[in-house]
Amino acid sequence: MALLELQGITAGYDKNVILKDLDFQVEKGELVSLLGSSGCGKTTTLRLIAGFSTPMSGKFMFGGKDYTQVPLNKRNFGFVFQSYALFPHMTVFDNVAFGLKMRGLPADQIKKEVMEMLETVDLGGFEKRFPKEMSGGQRQRVALARALVIKPDLLLLDEPLSNLDAKLRVKMRVEIRRLQQKFGFTAIYVTHDQEECFAISDKVAIMNHGVIEQMDSPSVIYNHPKTEFIARFVGFENFMDLKPGASDGVYTLPDGSTVQAEGGRRGDSVRACIRPEDILIVTDGAEAVNPLAGEIMVSTFLGKRNQYNVRTAIGEFEVSTDQESVCRIGDRVTLSLPPAKIILL
Amino acid sequence: MLEKKTNIYWLFILPGCLFLTFFMLIPLFSLLFKSFVDEGGAFSLTNYLTLMESTYFKQVFWRSIRLSLVSTAVCAVLGFPTAYYISKYSQNKGVLMALAVFPMFTSPVIRSFSWMVLLGKKGIVNDLLVSLGIVAKPVSLLYNEFSMVVGFIQLFLPLMILSLIGVMDNISEDLNLAAGSLGASRIGVFRHVVLPLSIPGLVTGSVLVFTGCLTAYTTPQLLGGTDTRVLATMIYQQAMSLGDWTQASVVAVIMIVVTIAVSTVINKVSRKLNPTI
Repeated sequence: MALLELQGITAGYDKNVILKDLDFQVEKGELVSLLGSSGCGKTTTLRLIAGFSTPMSGKFMFGGKDYTQVPLNKRNFGFVFQSYALFPHMTVFDNVAFGLKMRGLPADQIKKEVMEMLETVDLGGFEKRFPKEMSGGQRQRVALARALVIKPDLLLLDEPLSNLDAKLRVKMRVEIRRLQQKFGFTAIYVTHDQEECFAISDKVAIMNHGVIEQMDSPSVIYNHPKTEFIARFVGFENFMDLKPGASDGVYTLPDGSTVQAEGGRRGDSVRACIRPEDILIVTDGAEAVNPLAGEIMVSTFLGKRNQYNVRTAIGEFEVSTDQESVCRIGDRVTLSLPPAKIILL
Repeated sequence: MLEKKTNIYWLFILPGCLFLTFFMLIPLFSLLFKSFVDEGGAFSLTNYLTLMESTYFKQVFWRSIRLSLVSTAVCAVLGFPTAYYISKYSQNKGVLMALAVFPMFTSPVIRSFSWMVLLGKKGIVNDLLVSLGIVAKPVSLLYNEFSMVVGFIQLFLPLMILSLIGVMDNISEDLNLAAGSLGASRIGVFRHVVLPLSIPGLVTGSVLVFTGCLTAYTTPQLLGGTDTRVLATMIYQQAMSLGDWTQASVVAVIMIVVTIAVSTVINKVSRKLNPTI
C-alpha cells in the first residue's frame, strides 16, 4: 500500500476550485515531483498535504491513517519554503533546534542533533549566525536542516531552489538528492523547472488545471508522453494528425502521403509528435525516411545547434540540428522523420 | 563648472527652519536658561534642588510616571490582540483600522466630557454597578487616577494599535506555517514567532503612548482632580495660577528629560529582546 494517498481531493479558495477530484499516491522512500506551470495546482496540493489548508472534499491517507483533519503541528512533516521562512530573530542553531524544542527533547540531545545536522548540510561553525548574515544557498541549507532534523515522516519542498542562481541550483539539487538517499526519507518536490525535476525525482507527476496528466519515471515521461500537454512540456514541438493506413505501422498524413511509425495500433486516428532535434534535414537528394518536403522560413543560430522553422504541406515544423551545412531562408529541403522517433499519443 | 554651481535647494527648508527656530528652539532654550538661573541672575542648580526637596513635586512626579506606565501597559495588553486580529484574520481590514483610529478624530475635550457623563456619580457606569448589586451606593470613578488612566487609554490606544499593525503586516505567514509544521501549537507560534517579531511595533507604540501620557494636558486637567496633579498640569498651575515661571520651566525641563530617558531605555531593552531590529 502506498505511504501517502490523496483520494478524490477537491480544493480551492472560496468558489475558485483549484484541484478537481485529485488522486495521487507516493510510495515510501520515493522522491516524487509535482511539475507544472504556475496555477496548475501543484503548490495547493503540497500545502494541503502539509496541513496548511483542508480540502473541500476527499480524503488524505498517510501510513494507513486518515490525515485529512490532523492539524499541521501533529503531522511530523518537514516543509521547505520557497522563501526559506527562516525565523529572522533566531540564530541558525535556534532555527534548526526549533522543531526539537517543540518536541520537548532535553537540551543536550537537541544540541547534539542540531550540530550533527549542521555538519551534514556543511554548515558547521555557522550556528551563531543570523539568517540575514548568510547567503541564499546557506539559508537554503539551514531551511533543509531545520526540516530534516525532526526526522520527518515526509519532506515537502515548495520550489526550494527558485531563488538561487543557476549554478547553485544545480549544486543544491544534487545535495537534496544526496540527503534524500542518505536518510531514505519520502519527499514531494514542487517545481516548474523540468530539468531540475527530472534530475532529482524517482517519479514525476505533471499537473495541468488541477489534475495530474501523467505520473511516471522521468525517462518514461520524457520518451513516452501520454498527452499533447505533456509532450509539449517535455520538448515535443511538432504535432501531426495520423489516420490508419494500409498496414500495421503505416499511417496517412492529412495531405495524403504515408508515414511509418513504430508501436502503432490500427484503429482510430491518432495524434503523433516528434522532437525538433529528432528530425533530419536532407538537402542533396539523399535518401530520406518518411520524407516531407518543405521550405526554410526562419533560421536561428543557437551556438551548438541551428534551429529552423520549416513550412510543409501539413504545417510548420520546428527542426533543431547540429548538422554542419547551414540552410538559408527560402531553401527547399526535405525533412526525414525517423519512425522510431515518432511518438503516438 | 559643476563646483561653482550654487546649491539653492536649502531654500526649500528655510521657512520650516525659521518657524522652528522662532517658535520652538528659542522658547525651549530660554526655558532651559531660565531654569538654571537663580533670583540674583547667577547660574545655579538651586531651582532644581529646591523642587526636588518638595514632597508635593515628588508626589506629582511619581504619579505622572506611574500613570503613564500603567496606561502604556494596558494599551499594550489591549492593543496586541486587536492589532493581531486586524492584521492576520480580518476580512475588512480597512473598516476595522478606521474604527480603531476613530477616537483620534474627536478632540480630547469632547472625549473627556463624555467620560464625565459616563463615570459620574449619576452616570451609566455607576447606575449599572448599583443595579447589579456590585456596589451599595455610587462610587467615585471621576476626578481620580482611575478616570485619568481611562482617558489616557482611549486617547493613545490607537497609536499602539497602528504601530503594531504596521509591524505585524510584515510578518510573513510562511513563518507561522513553518513554526506550525515544526510542531508548534497556535500558542507556541504566537509565543515564539509572532510576539518576538512584533517587539519593534510594541516599542514604537509604547514610546508614543508613554510620552503622550506624560505630556498630555487636557485629559488630566479635565478628568483628574486637584489632588491628582501630574507634571503637565503642574506646569500650568505654576505658570498660570502661581505666576512662578521659573518653577514651571524647571518642571518642563524635567519632563523633557524623563521623556527622552524613558524612550532610550525602552529602545535599549527591546534591542536586547530582539537582536535583529
